[in-house]
Amino acid sequence: MSRNTQTVVRNGILTVFWAWFGARLLNDWFGGVVVPVGQPFFDPQPVADAAAALRDSAAGLGAVGAPLDVAGDVLGSASFAMTYLPDLAAGAWLTVVLTTLGIAFGVVLAVPLAAARVYGRVTRWVSLAFIELIRGTPLLAQLFVLYYALPLSRWIAAVPFVGTSVVPAQAVWVAIVGFTINSAAYQAEYIRGSIEGVDPGQLTAARAIGLSQIQGIRYVVLPQALRFAIPSWTNELVYLVKYSSLASFITVAELYHAAEAAAYDNYRFLDLFLLAAVVYVLLVLSATTTMEWVRKRVAIPGVGGSAGGRTSAD
Amino acid sequence: MADPLLDVDDVHQSYGDEQVLEGITFEMERQDVKVLVGPSGSGKSTMLRCVNRLTDIDDGDIRLDGESVYDMDADDLRRQVGMVFQDFNLFAHLTAIENVTLGLKRVLGLSEREATEKAAWQLEQVGLREQANSYPAELSGGQKQRVGIARALAMDPKLMLFDEPTSALDPELIGEVLEVMRELADEGMTMLVVTHEMGFAKQAATDVLFLDDGKLVEQGPPEQLFENPENERTAAFLSRLTQLHGGQ
Repeated sequence: MSRNTQTVVRNGILTVFWAWFGARLLNDWFGGVVVPVGQPFFDPQPVADAAAALRDSAAGLGAVGAPLDVAGDVLGSASFAMTYLPDLAAGAWLTVVLTTLGIAFGVVLAVPLAAARVYGRVTRWVSLAFIELIRGTPLLAQLFVLYYALPLSRWIAAVPFVGTSVVPAQAVWVAIVGFTINSAAYQAEYIRGSIEGVDPGQLTAARAIGLSQIQGIRYVVLPQALRFAIPSWTNELVYLVKYSSLASFITVAELYHAAEAAAYDNYRFLDLFLLAAVVYVLLVLSATTTMEWVRKRVAIPGVGGSAGGRTSAD
Repeated sequence: MADPLLDVDDVHQSYGDEQVLEGITFEMERQDVKVLVGPSGSGKSTMLRCVNRLTDIDDGDIRLDGESVYDMDADDLRRQVGMVFQDFNLFAHLTAIENVTLGLKRVLGLSEREATEKAAWQLEQVGLREQANSYPAELSGGQKQRVGIARALAMDPKLMLFDEPTSALDPELIGEVLEVMRELADEGMTMLVVTHEMGFAKQAATDVLFLDDGKLVEQGPPEQLFENPENERTAAFLSRLTQLHGGQ
Protein backbone atom coordinates (compact mmCIF):
# COMPACT_ATOMS: atom_id res chain seq x y z
CA MET A 1 0.00 0.00 0.00
CA SER A 2 1.42 3.38 -0.88
CA ARG A 3 1.84 6.06 1.76
CA ASN A 4 -0.97 8.00 0.21
CA THR A 5 -3.40 5.09 0.31
CA GLN A 6 -2.46 4.48 3.92
CA THR A 7 -3.26 8.06 4.81
CA VAL A 8 -6.60 7.91 3.02
CA VAL A 9 -7.57 4.64 4.71
CA ARG A 10 -6.45 5.88 8.12
CA ASN A 11 -8.26 9.18 7.78
CA GLY A 12 -11.37 7.38 6.54
CA ILE A 13 -11.42 5.06 9.54
CA LEU A 14 -10.82 7.92 11.95
CA THR A 15 -13.51 10.08 10.35
CA VAL A 16 -16.11 7.33 10.71
CA PHE A 17 -15.03 6.61 14.29
CA TRP A 18 -15.08 10.24 15.44
CA ALA A 19 -18.34 10.98 13.63
CA TRP A 20 -19.95 8.13 15.53
CA PHE A 21 -18.15 8.95 18.80
CA GLY A 22 -19.03 12.64 18.65
CA ALA A 23 -22.66 12.00 17.74
CA ARG A 24 -22.93 9.37 20.46
CA LEU A 25 -21.53 11.64 23.18
CA LEU A 26 -23.61 14.66 22.18
CA ASN A 27 -26.75 12.55 21.95
CA ASP A 28 -26.20 11.10 25.42
CA TRP A 29 -25.01 14.32 27.09
CA PHE A 30 -28.09 16.20 25.96
CA GLY A 31 -30.42 13.52 27.24
CA GLY A 32 -31.06 11.60 24.02
CA VAL A 33 -31.45 14.04 21.13
CA VAL A 34 -31.73 11.53 18.29
CA VAL A 35 -32.16 8.21 20.05
CA PRO A 36 -32.68 7.51 23.80
CA VAL A 37 -29.53 7.63 25.96
CA GLY A 38 -27.45 4.49 25.55
CA GLN A 39 -29.57 3.11 22.68
CA PRO A 40 -27.88 2.30 19.35
CA PHE A 41 -28.38 4.77 16.48
CA PHE A 42 -29.38 1.89 14.19
CA ASP A 43 -31.38 -1.09 15.37
CA PRO A 44 -29.01 -4.10 15.47
CA GLN A 45 -31.92 -6.59 15.35
CA PRO A 46 -32.20 -6.82 11.51
CA VAL A 47 -28.44 -7.43 11.35
CA ALA A 48 -28.71 -10.14 13.98
CA ASP A 49 -31.62 -11.70 12.09
CA ALA A 50 -29.64 -11.65 8.83
CA ALA A 51 -26.69 -13.29 10.63
CA ALA A 52 -28.95 -16.03 11.97
CA ALA A 53 -30.50 -16.58 8.53
CA LEU A 54 -27.06 -16.90 6.89
CA ARG A 55 -25.90 -19.38 9.50
CA ASP A 56 -29.08 -21.42 9.03
CA SER A 57 -28.69 -21.64 5.27
CA ALA A 58 -24.98 -22.46 5.69
CA ALA A 59 -25.88 -25.37 7.95
CA GLY A 60 -28.18 -26.74 5.20
CA LEU A 61 -25.40 -26.59 2.56
CA GLY A 62 -22.74 -28.60 4.42
CA ALA A 63 -19.07 -27.92 3.49
CA VAL A 64 -20.03 -25.65 0.55
CA GLY A 65 -21.78 -23.29 2.98
CA ALA A 66 -18.57 -22.35 4.85
CA PRO A 67 -18.29 -18.85 3.26
CA LEU A 68 -21.90 -18.15 4.22
CA ASP A 69 -21.11 -19.25 7.74
CA VAL A 70 -18.18 -16.78 7.91
CA ALA A 71 -20.41 -14.00 6.55
CA GLY A 72 -22.94 -14.89 9.22
CA ASP A 73 -20.24 -14.60 11.92
CA VAL A 74 -19.17 -11.20 10.60
CA LEU A 75 -22.75 -9.92 10.68
CA GLY A 76 -23.16 -11.46 14.12
CA SER A 77 -20.13 -9.56 15.37
CA ALA A 78 -21.45 -6.39 13.76
CA SER A 79 -24.78 -6.67 15.51
CA PHE A 80 -22.95 -7.38 18.79
CA ALA A 81 -20.80 -4.26 18.29
CA MET A 82 -23.84 -2.16 17.39
CA THR A 83 -25.59 -3.34 20.55
CA TYR A 84 -22.76 -2.76 23.03
CA LEU A 85 -20.72 0.12 21.58
CA PRO A 86 -23.10 2.67 23.13
CA ASP A 87 -22.21 1.22 26.54
CA LEU A 88 -18.50 1.80 25.85
CA ALA A 89 -18.79 5.36 24.53
CA ALA A 90 -18.95 7.14 27.90
CA GLY A 91 -16.01 5.02 29.11
CA ALA A 92 -14.00 5.81 26.00
CA TRP A 93 -14.68 9.50 26.60
CA LEU A 94 -13.28 9.25 30.13
CA THR A 95 -10.23 7.47 28.72
CA VAL A 96 -9.73 10.41 26.35
CA VAL A 97 -10.13 12.91 29.21
CA LEU A 98 -7.74 11.06 31.54
CA THR A 99 -5.11 10.67 28.84
CA THR A 100 -5.17 14.17 27.40
CA LEU A 101 -5.34 15.96 30.75
CA GLY A 102 -2.71 13.63 32.22
CA ILE A 103 -0.27 14.31 29.41
CA ALA A 104 -1.07 18.03 29.20
CA PHE A 105 -0.72 18.74 32.93
CA GLY A 106 2.19 16.29 32.95
CA VAL A 107 4.20 18.32 30.47
CA VAL A 108 3.67 21.48 32.51
CA LEU A 109 5.43 19.73 35.41
CA ALA A 110 7.89 17.86 33.22
CA VAL A 111 9.52 20.92 31.61
CA PRO A 112 10.75 22.47 34.90
CA LEU A 113 11.70 19.01 36.19
CA ALA A 114 13.78 18.36 33.09
CA ALA A 115 15.36 21.82 33.17
CA ALA A 116 16.22 21.33 36.85
CA ARG A 117 17.75 17.96 36.04
CA VAL A 118 20.05 19.49 33.42
CA TYR A 119 20.79 22.96 34.78
CA GLY A 120 19.92 22.87 38.48
CA ARG A 121 22.22 22.50 41.48
CA VAL A 122 20.08 21.59 44.49
CA THR A 123 16.96 21.31 42.34
CA ARG A 124 18.75 18.70 40.22
CA TRP A 125 18.66 16.28 43.14
CA VAL A 126 15.09 17.13 44.10
CA SER A 127 14.03 16.50 40.52
CA LEU A 128 16.03 13.28 40.27
CA ALA A 129 14.55 11.96 43.54
CA PHE A 130 11.00 12.69 42.34
CA ILE A 131 11.57 11.09 38.94
CA GLU A 132 13.17 7.95 40.34
CA LEU A 133 10.50 7.56 43.02
CA ILE A 134 7.69 7.83 40.48
CA ARG A 135 9.32 5.71 37.82
CA GLY A 136 10.39 3.19 40.41
CA THR A 137 6.94 2.44 41.80
CA PRO A 138 3.93 0.94 40.01
CA LEU A 139 1.34 3.33 38.64
CA LEU A 140 -1.38 1.27 40.28
CA ALA A 141 0.25 1.67 43.70
CA GLN A 142 0.47 5.43 43.10
CA LEU A 143 -3.24 5.56 42.28
CA PHE A 144 -4.09 3.56 45.40
CA VAL A 145 -2.03 5.89 47.59
CA LEU A 146 -3.70 8.93 46.06
CA TYR A 147 -7.19 7.51 46.28
CA TYR A 148 -7.24 5.47 49.48
CA ALA A 149 -4.36 6.76 51.61
CA LEU A 150 -4.56 10.51 51.07
CA PRO A 151 -7.53 12.76 51.79
CA LEU A 152 -7.24 13.97 48.20
CA SER A 153 -10.63 12.74 47.05
CA ARG A 154 -12.33 14.42 50.02
CA TRP A 155 -10.71 17.73 49.12
CA ILE A 156 -11.70 17.34 45.50
CA ALA A 157 -15.24 16.36 46.42
CA ALA A 158 -15.52 19.66 48.33
CA VAL A 159 -14.83 21.63 45.15
CA PRO A 160 -18.06 23.02 43.63
CA PHE A 161 -19.55 21.28 40.56
CA VAL A 162 -17.36 18.16 40.86
CA GLY A 163 -19.42 15.21 39.76
CA THR A 164 -22.31 17.32 38.45
CA SER A 165 -23.32 17.61 34.81
CA VAL A 166 -20.31 17.01 32.50
CA VAL A 167 -17.73 17.71 35.24
CA PRO A 168 -16.27 14.31 36.24
CA ALA A 169 -16.61 12.92 39.78
CA GLN A 170 -13.76 13.06 42.30
CA ALA A 171 -12.26 9.65 41.47
CA VAL A 172 -11.64 10.88 37.92
CA TRP A 173 -9.80 13.90 39.25
CA VAL A 174 -7.71 11.72 41.54
CA ALA A 175 -6.83 9.61 38.51
CA ILE A 176 -5.93 12.75 36.54
CA VAL A 177 -3.64 13.84 39.39
CA GLY A 178 -2.08 10.37 39.39
CA PHE A 179 -1.52 10.27 35.64
CA THR A 180 -0.19 13.82 35.70
CA ILE A 181 2.42 12.97 38.33
CA ASN A 182 3.35 9.68 36.72
CA SER A 183 3.50 11.02 33.20
CA ALA A 184 5.47 14.08 34.36
CA ALA A 185 8.27 11.81 35.60
CA TYR A 186 8.51 9.93 32.31
CA GLN A 187 8.12 13.03 30.16
CA ALA A 188 10.77 14.82 32.21
CA GLU A 189 13.25 12.14 31.20
CA TYR A 190 12.27 12.39 27.53
CA ILE A 191 12.62 16.16 27.63
CA ARG A 192 15.91 15.97 29.54
CA GLY A 193 17.23 13.80 26.72
CA SER A 194 16.07 16.33 24.14
CA ILE A 195 17.55 19.25 26.09
CA GLU A 196 20.87 17.43 26.17
CA GLY A 197 20.51 16.86 22.43
CA VAL A 198 20.49 20.60 21.75
CA ASP A 199 23.95 21.85 20.77
CA PRO A 200 25.46 23.55 23.88
CA GLY A 201 26.64 26.32 21.53
CA GLN A 202 23.02 27.44 21.29
CA LEU A 203 22.90 28.39 24.96
CA THR A 204 26.39 29.91 24.77
CA ALA A 205 25.25 32.10 21.89
CA ALA A 206 22.14 33.10 23.84
CA ARG A 207 24.26 34.06 26.84
CA ALA A 208 26.69 35.91 24.58
CA ILE A 209 24.01 38.38 23.43
CA GLY A 210 23.08 39.07 27.05
CA LEU A 211 20.15 36.73 27.64
CA SER A 212 20.04 35.29 31.16
CA GLN A 213 20.30 31.55 31.58
CA ILE A 214 16.56 31.25 32.19
CA GLN A 215 15.85 33.33 29.07
CA GLY A 216 18.30 31.26 27.06
CA ILE A 217 16.57 28.07 28.14
CA ARG A 218 13.12 29.55 27.56
CA TYR A 219 13.68 31.17 24.17
CA VAL A 220 16.47 29.10 22.63
CA VAL A 221 16.90 25.64 24.18
CA LEU A 222 13.31 24.60 24.93
CA PRO A 223 11.76 25.53 21.56
CA GLN A 224 14.25 23.14 19.97
CA ALA A 225 14.20 20.48 22.68
CA LEU A 226 10.41 20.24 22.71
CA ARG A 227 10.42 19.66 18.97
CA PHE A 228 13.01 16.89 19.41
CA ALA A 229 10.75 15.38 22.10
CA ILE A 230 7.68 14.93 19.90
CA PRO A 231 8.37 11.30 18.89
CA SER A 232 8.91 10.19 22.50
CA TRP A 233 5.90 12.23 23.48
CA THR A 234 3.79 10.31 21.00
CA ASN A 235 5.05 7.15 22.64
CA GLU A 236 4.08 8.40 26.08
CA LEU A 237 0.62 9.32 24.84
CA VAL A 238 0.07 5.88 23.29
CA TYR A 239 1.23 4.27 26.50
CA LEU A 240 -1.03 6.42 28.63
CA VAL A 241 -4.13 5.68 26.51
CA LYS A 242 -3.82 2.05 27.55
CA TYR A 243 -2.46 2.56 31.07
CA SER A 244 -5.39 4.81 31.86
CA SER A 245 -7.31 1.52 32.25
CA LEU A 246 -5.68 1.25 35.70
CA ALA A 247 -8.02 4.04 36.79
CA SER A 248 -10.78 1.41 36.84
CA PHE A 249 -9.17 0.09 40.05
CA ILE A 250 -10.05 3.34 41.79
CA THR A 251 -13.65 3.17 40.53
CA VAL A 252 -13.27 5.35 37.43
CA ALA A 253 -15.70 4.14 34.75
CA GLU A 254 -13.28 4.44 31.84
CA LEU A 255 -13.25 2.23 28.76
CA TYR A 256 -11.95 -0.98 30.35
CA HIS A 257 -14.29 -0.54 33.31
CA ALA A 258 -17.24 0.04 30.94
CA ALA A 259 -16.45 -3.13 28.98
CA GLU A 260 -16.21 -5.13 32.18
CA ALA A 261 -19.47 -3.71 33.52
CA ALA A 262 -21.29 -4.55 30.26
CA ALA A 263 -19.84 -8.08 30.36
CA TYR A 264 -21.30 -8.68 33.81
CA ASP A 265 -24.73 -8.25 32.20
CA ASN A 266 -24.29 -10.88 29.50
CA TYR A 267 -21.15 -12.85 30.47
CA ARG A 268 -19.60 -12.31 27.04
CA PHE A 269 -16.30 -11.09 28.55
CA LEU A 270 -14.04 -12.02 25.66
CA ASP A 271 -16.33 -10.39 23.08
CA LEU A 272 -16.61 -7.19 25.07
CA PHE A 273 -12.88 -6.94 25.78
CA LEU A 274 -12.19 -7.47 22.08
CA LEU A 275 -14.66 -4.69 21.30
CA ALA A 276 -12.91 -2.47 23.86
CA ALA A 277 -9.58 -3.39 22.27
CA VAL A 278 -10.85 -2.14 18.90
CA VAL A 279 -11.83 1.15 20.53
CA TYR A 280 -8.37 1.38 22.17
CA VAL A 281 -6.74 0.85 18.77
CA LEU A 282 -8.88 3.64 17.30
CA LEU A 283 -7.99 5.97 20.18
CA VAL A 284 -4.28 5.20 19.80
CA LEU A 285 -4.55 5.77 16.05
CA SER A 286 -6.22 9.12 16.78
CA ALA A 287 -3.39 9.99 19.18
CA THR A 288 -0.59 9.14 16.76
CA THR A 289 -2.35 10.92 13.90
CA THR A 290 -2.79 14.05 16.02
CA MET A 291 0.86 14.00 17.11
CA GLU A 292 1.99 13.52 13.52
CA TRP A 293 -0.08 16.56 12.57
CA VAL A 294 1.46 18.55 15.43
CA ARG A 295 4.95 17.46 14.41
CA LYS A 296 4.41 18.68 10.84
CA ARG A 297 2.71 21.82 12.07
CA VAL A 298 5.66 22.94 14.22
CA ALA A 299 8.42 21.55 11.99
CA ILE A 300 11.31 23.84 11.20
CA PRO A 301 13.94 22.99 8.59
CA GLY A 302 17.04 21.72 10.32
CA VAL A 303 15.43 21.19 13.73
CA GLY A 304 14.40 17.69 14.74
CA GLY A 305 15.72 15.49 11.96
CA SER A 306 13.90 15.17 8.65
CA ALA A 307 11.02 17.39 9.73
CA GLY A 308 10.13 20.01 7.18
CA GLY A 309 11.81 18.26 4.29
CA ARG A 310 13.92 21.16 3.18
CA THR A 311 17.68 20.73 3.41
CA SER A 312 20.73 22.87 3.95
CA ALA A 313 21.92 25.06 1.12
CA ASP A 314 25.55 24.23 1.96
CA MET B 1 43.78 60.46 29.31
CA ALA B 2 40.68 58.33 28.94
CA ASP B 3 40.78 54.66 29.88
CA PRO B 4 41.43 52.22 27.06
CA LEU B 5 38.29 50.50 25.86
CA LEU B 6 39.67 47.11 26.79
CA ASP B 7 42.43 46.57 29.28
CA VAL B 8 43.60 42.99 29.67
CA ASP B 9 45.86 42.98 32.69
CA ASP B 10 48.06 40.00 33.54
CA VAL B 11 45.34 37.43 32.94
CA HIS B 12 45.89 33.88 34.16
CA GLN B 13 43.49 31.06 33.43
CA SER B 14 43.64 27.31 33.80
CA TYR B 15 41.50 24.24 33.27
CA GLY B 16 42.31 21.94 36.17
CA ASP B 17 46.09 21.62 36.31
CA GLU B 18 46.62 22.90 32.81
CA GLN B 19 47.64 26.54 32.51
CA VAL B 20 45.88 27.98 29.47
CA LEU B 21 46.74 31.66 29.83
CA GLU B 22 49.85 32.74 31.70
CA GLY B 23 49.93 36.46 32.24
CA ILE B 24 48.40 38.01 29.14
CA THR B 25 48.52 41.81 29.05
CA PHE B 26 47.36 44.12 26.27
CA GLU B 27 45.16 47.14 25.73
CA MET B 28 42.75 48.15 23.02
CA GLU B 29 41.83 51.73 22.18
CA ARG B 30 38.54 52.56 20.52
CA GLN B 31 38.53 51.60 16.82
CA ASP B 32 41.48 49.26 17.26
CA VAL B 33 41.39 46.00 15.35
CA LYS B 34 43.61 43.45 17.01
CA VAL B 35 44.22 40.03 15.54
CA LEU B 36 45.18 37.16 17.81
CA VAL B 37 47.21 34.46 16.11
CA GLY B 38 48.94 31.40 17.42
CA PRO B 39 49.10 27.63 17.15
CA SER B 40 46.02 25.66 18.15
CA GLY B 41 45.84 25.24 21.89
CA SER B 42 47.72 28.48 22.47
CA GLY B 43 44.78 30.01 24.37
CA LYS B 44 43.41 32.45 21.75
CA SER B 45 39.80 31.37 21.98
CA THR B 46 40.00 31.14 25.75
CA MET B 47 41.31 34.71 25.80
CA LEU B 48 38.24 35.88 23.87
CA ARG B 49 35.84 33.98 26.10
CA CYS B 50 37.40 35.57 29.17
CA VAL B 51 36.58 39.04 27.86
CA ASN B 52 32.80 38.44 27.95
CA ARG B 53 33.08 36.07 30.93
CA LEU B 54 31.98 32.95 29.14
CA THR B 55 35.11 31.68 30.91
CA ASP B 56 36.28 32.94 34.29
CA ILE B 57 39.89 33.94 34.90
CA ASP B 58 42.00 32.80 37.85
CA ASP B 59 44.08 35.89 38.30
CA GLY B 60 44.59 39.34 36.84
CA ASP B 61 41.83 41.62 35.62
CA ILE B 62 39.97 42.62 32.48
CA ARG B 63 38.52 46.12 32.32
CA LEU B 64 36.01 47.42 29.81
CA ASP B 65 35.93 51.21 29.69
CA GLY B 66 37.86 51.32 32.95
CA GLU B 67 35.49 49.05 34.87
CA SER B 68 36.47 45.52 35.82
CA VAL B 69 34.24 43.04 34.02
CA TYR B 70 33.95 41.22 37.34
CA ASP B 71 32.29 44.29 38.87
CA MET B 72 29.70 44.25 36.11
CA ASP B 73 26.59 42.13 35.76
CA ALA B 74 27.58 39.39 33.35
CA ASP B 75 24.48 39.83 31.17
CA ASP B 76 25.05 43.58 31.04
CA LEU B 77 28.68 43.01 30.04
CA ARG B 78 27.71 40.61 27.28
CA ARG B 79 25.17 43.08 25.95
CA GLN B 80 28.06 45.49 25.39
CA VAL B 81 30.42 42.93 23.85
CA GLY B 82 29.33 41.17 20.67
CA MET B 83 30.63 37.72 19.87
CA VAL B 84 30.85 35.77 16.63
CA PHE B 85 31.50 32.03 16.79
CA GLN B 86 33.43 29.61 14.64
CA ASP B 87 30.37 27.32 14.38
CA PHE B 88 27.99 30.28 13.89
CA ASN B 89 25.68 29.04 16.68
CA LEU B 90 22.67 30.60 15.00
CA PHE B 91 19.47 29.78 16.85
CA ALA B 92 18.37 26.87 14.72
CA HIS B 93 14.64 27.29 15.27
CA LEU B 94 14.55 30.97 14.32
CA THR B 95 14.72 32.66 10.93
CA ALA B 96 17.63 34.95 10.14
CA ILE B 97 15.69 38.02 11.18
CA GLU B 98 14.33 36.35 14.33
CA ASN B 99 17.91 35.46 15.27
CA VAL B 100 18.63 39.18 15.28
CA THR B 101 15.42 40.36 16.93
CA LEU B 102 15.56 37.94 19.89
CA GLY B 103 18.21 39.92 21.75
CA LEU B 104 16.72 43.25 20.70
CA LYS B 105 13.38 42.27 22.20
CA ARG B 106 14.42 40.25 25.23
CA VAL B 107 17.62 42.03 26.23
CA LEU B 108 17.18 45.60 25.01
CA GLY B 109 13.41 45.60 25.43
CA LEU B 110 12.58 46.91 21.96
CA SER B 111 9.03 46.49 20.67
CA GLU B 112 8.36 43.90 17.99
CA ARG B 113 8.16 46.62 15.35
CA GLU B 114 11.33 48.48 16.42
CA ALA B 115 13.25 45.23 16.69
CA THR B 116 12.12 44.04 13.26
CA GLU B 117 13.03 47.37 11.65
CA LYS B 118 16.45 47.41 13.23
CA ALA B 119 17.11 43.75 12.41
CA ALA B 120 16.06 44.24 8.79
CA TRP B 121 18.46 47.17 8.49
CA GLN B 122 21.25 45.17 10.11
CA LEU B 123 20.71 42.22 7.78
CA GLU B 124 20.77 44.58 4.83
CA GLN B 125 24.15 45.87 6.04
CA VAL B 126 25.59 42.37 5.75
CA GLY B 127 23.90 41.82 2.39
CA LEU B 128 21.17 39.41 3.52
CA ARG B 129 17.95 41.33 2.97
CA GLU B 130 16.63 38.54 0.74
CA GLN B 131 17.37 35.83 3.30
CA ALA B 132 15.66 37.50 6.27
CA ASN B 133 12.97 34.83 6.50
CA SER B 134 15.19 31.83 5.83
CA TYR B 135 16.02 29.37 8.58
CA PRO B 136 19.70 28.67 9.34
CA ALA B 137 19.48 25.23 7.71
CA GLU B 138 18.51 26.97 4.45
CA LEU B 139 21.55 29.28 4.44
CA SER B 140 25.08 28.69 3.21
CA GLY B 141 27.92 28.81 5.73
CA GLY B 142 28.94 32.29 4.67
CA GLN B 143 25.37 33.54 4.96
CA LYS B 144 25.04 31.93 8.39
CA GLN B 145 28.15 33.69 9.62
CA ARG B 146 26.94 37.02 8.27
CA VAL B 147 23.69 36.52 10.21
CA GLY B 148 25.86 35.76 13.24
CA ILE B 149 27.67 39.05 12.74
CA ALA B 150 24.39 40.94 12.25
CA ARG B 151 22.98 39.36 15.42
CA ALA B 152 25.95 40.60 17.45
CA LEU B 153 26.08 44.04 15.80
CA ALA B 154 22.39 44.74 16.31
CA MET B 155 23.02 44.98 20.05
CA ASP B 156 25.23 48.05 19.39
CA PRO B 157 28.27 46.55 21.13
CA LYS B 158 31.30 48.61 22.14
CA LEU B 159 33.56 45.76 21.20
CA MET B 160 33.23 42.79 18.85
CA LEU B 161 34.92 39.46 19.47
CA PHE B 162 35.45 37.12 16.52
CA ASP B 163 36.39 33.54 17.35
CA GLU B 164 37.81 32.03 14.13
CA PRO B 165 34.83 33.30 12.15
CA THR B 166 35.92 31.73 8.87
CA SER B 167 37.49 28.46 10.04
CA ALA B 168 34.35 26.39 9.49
CA LEU B 169 33.71 27.80 6.01
CA ASP B 170 34.42 26.36 2.60
CA PRO B 171 37.23 28.38 0.99
CA GLU B 172 34.94 30.05 -1.57
CA LEU B 173 32.69 31.38 1.21
CA ILE B 174 35.43 32.97 3.33
CA GLY B 175 35.66 36.11 1.21
CA GLU B 176 32.12 37.33 1.82
CA VAL B 177 32.57 37.11 5.59
CA LEU B 178 35.96 38.84 5.57
CA GLU B 179 34.47 41.56 3.38
CA VAL B 180 31.83 42.29 6.02
CA MET B 181 34.51 42.32 8.72
CA ARG B 182 36.70 44.70 6.72
CA GLU B 183 33.78 47.09 6.24
CA LEU B 184 33.11 46.93 9.93
CA ALA B 185 36.74 47.76 10.69
CA ASP B 186 36.57 50.70 8.24
CA GLU B 187 33.49 52.01 10.03
CA GLY B 188 35.50 52.17 13.23
CA MET B 189 34.26 49.17 15.18
CA THR B 190 36.66 47.98 17.85
CA MET B 191 37.40 44.35 17.07
CA LEU B 192 39.36 41.55 18.69
CA VAL B 193 39.72 38.78 16.14
CA VAL B 194 41.10 35.26 16.36
CA THR B 195 41.82 34.17 12.80
CA HIS B 196 44.30 32.47 10.54
CA GLU B 197 43.42 34.79 7.67
CA MET B 198 46.68 36.69 7.31
CA GLY B 199 45.34 38.72 4.40
CA PHE B 200 42.75 40.19 6.74
CA ALA B 201 45.39 40.80 9.41
CA LYS B 202 47.63 42.66 6.98
CA GLN B 203 44.86 44.83 5.59
CA ALA B 204 42.65 45.54 8.57
CA ALA B 205 44.56 44.99 11.79
CA THR B 206 46.07 47.80 13.80
CA ASP B 207 48.03 45.19 15.73
CA VAL B 208 48.76 41.51 15.54
CA LEU B 209 49.26 39.58 18.78
CA PHE B 210 51.11 36.29 18.67
CA LEU B 211 50.15 33.85 21.41
CA ASP B 212 52.03 30.65 22.05
CA ASP B 213 51.53 28.24 24.92
CA GLY B 214 49.42 30.68 26.90
CA LYS B 215 51.89 33.52 26.64
CA LEU B 216 51.82 36.67 24.56
CA VAL B 217 55.08 36.24 22.68
CA GLU B 218 55.01 39.37 20.60
CA GLN B 219 52.65 42.13 19.49
CA GLY B 220 52.89 44.99 17.06
CA PRO B 221 51.56 46.44 13.80
CA PRO B 222 51.20 43.81 11.07
CA GLU B 223 54.05 45.19 8.93
CA GLN B 224 56.42 44.86 11.85
CA LEU B 225 55.35 41.34 12.83
CA PHE B 226 55.25 40.02 9.31
CA GLU B 227 58.47 41.66 8.11
CA ASN B 228 60.65 42.16 11.17
CA PRO B 229 59.49 39.87 13.93
CA GLU B 230 61.67 40.03 17.01
CA ASN B 231 61.01 36.51 18.05
CA GLU B 232 62.05 33.42 16.15
CA ARG B 233 58.86 31.53 16.94
CA THR B 234 56.76 34.43 15.67
CA ALA B 235 58.71 34.46 12.45
CA ALA B 236 58.38 30.73 11.90
CA PHE B 237 54.67 30.62 12.71
CA LEU B 238 53.69 33.65 10.67
CA SER B 239 55.58 32.59 7.59
CA ARG B 240 53.95 29.18 7.71
CA LEU B 241 50.53 30.76 8.21
CA THR B 242 51.06 33.24 5.41
CA GLN B 243 51.85 30.38 3.04
CA LEU B 244 48.64 28.61 4.03
CA HIS B 245 46.23 31.50 4.50
CA GLY B 246 47.87 34.44 2.81
CA GLY B 247 45.16 35.16 0.29
CA GLN B 248 42.34 37.68 0.23
